[in-house]
Amino acid sequence: MVQPTLDSVHRRIRGFLEERIKTDVAVDKDLFASGLVNSMFAMELVVYLEQAYGIAIVGEDLKLDNFRTVEQMTSLVLRLLDTPVADRG
Amino acid sequence: MAEWRADACEGVTQLVGDQAPAWDLAGVLPTETLRALGKQGLLCAEVPVEYGGIGADSSDNGAFTAHVGSLCSSLRSVMTSQGMAAWTIRRLGDARQRQEYLPRLTGGELAAVAFSERDAGSDVTAMATEIRADGDTVVVDGRKAWTTVARYADSIVVFGRYGDAGAAVVVPADAPGVTIRPVPNPSGCRAAGHADVSLDAVRLPASAVLGGGGQQLQLLVTTALAYGRISVAWGCVGILRACLSAAGSHARTRRQFGRPLAEHQLVARHLAELMAAEQAATRVCEHASRCWDAGSPEMVIATVLAKYVGSTEAARGAAAAVQVLASAGAQDGHVVARAYRDAKLMELIEGSTEICQLILAQHAVAQSR
Repeated sequence: MVQPTLDSVHRRIRGFLEERIKTDVAVDKDLFASGLVNSMFAMELVVYLEQAYGIAIVGEDLKLDNFRTVEQMTSLVLRLLDTPVADRG
Repeated sequence: MAEWRADACEGVTQLVGDQAPAWDLAGVLPTETLRALGKQGLLCAEVPVEYGGIGADSSDNGAFTAHVGSLCSSLRSVMTSQGMAAWTIRRLGDARQRQEYLPRLTGGELAAVAFSERDAGSDVTAMATEIRADGDTVVVDGRKAWTTVARYADSIVVFGRYGDAGAAVVVPADAPGVTIRPVPNPSGCRAAGHADVSLDAVRLPASAVLGGGGQQLQLLVTTALAYGRISVAWGCVGILRACLSAAGSHARTRRQFGRPLAEHQLVARHLAELMAAEQAATRVCEHASRCWDAGSPEMVIATVLAKYVGSTEAARGAAAAVQVLASAGAQDGHVVARAYRDAKLMELIEGSTEICQLILAQHAVAQSR
């Protein structure tokens, strides 16, 4: 797989949001404050990111702030891709 | 079929034997039976092999759960709780916590998961239980209601507020300040060990807070409940199978007006509906488990759908089975009498029928342009 970049992750997450909630969201839009995302959909996002990038989002990474905006989800993904599996909390 | 499942189904069938009616009447399961199953990893079969588990996938564990559900819903409830505790620790815990707690859950210890409170059932935001950091310890205060398995549990995964956010903490059942009071005479899954749990200034090491806490409470609860829902859904498939088998065999052998009940059209309709219910519930559960096994985000909604279809069909199917058996099944302890009471309870827990409908409706709306 080509190493994901900031832009490619942004694009992919926005594509998933577009498909699932029929909304084109800006990368810095607060998805929870705007009412676009509830806890059921937050869990879908968790599972989607895990499947799309082969990462495990567990433990403290499940903090809601990591899923608040497309930008924050992207930095979570890039950070987890950079962390060797054995070091993950 | 995975090899472990064939052996496990046979083993549980022997272990339960003809005792399910007596367990139901007494309202209690033998703890040694639970620990024996626990030590084989069968109460939470999806725990990975590295933690002493079987490492089952959701599809195989689901089929096993249905088998246990066809024998005894109280025992299946214990599997649901233990599996949910293990899943919660796998998702919310850090590496050290997974290493510490999971081998205990595959080693014979029993675990419960405490969400509900008197004033906070479906409305998680009303939860009042508080987990407060105090140096390198935390202090837990709260009153949990109707916690399945709490009566038998060695530890209880307790959900509560943690500052502005939420947390789940693993509480040993014998910690000072923990009081467990069994719910007297529950109407369904009577032997599942439902209890009210009081936590009065229970002080624990901060390391008992899964993942350090501070996650959003609703996301925590949604995550934990996902396992509970798929487990309950498969348990309902088991209830339907037990009902179909009992109603089918009664309708074949019992004769009225000179012919078997099955040849009376109004009875035959009950049998057809039961069969359709069993098949429909099985297929939605299989689909949801395949989503889990594929790591597909669709697992979230497919699980709610499976729980909704499974529990509503089981409640309807069990009522039909009681109708077909009539006086032959209208006695506490009888398989269809248990099914009737147990299935109704399945419509109440892990997200009531109405809450599932709201979630499904929101999903439908979100997907529409």
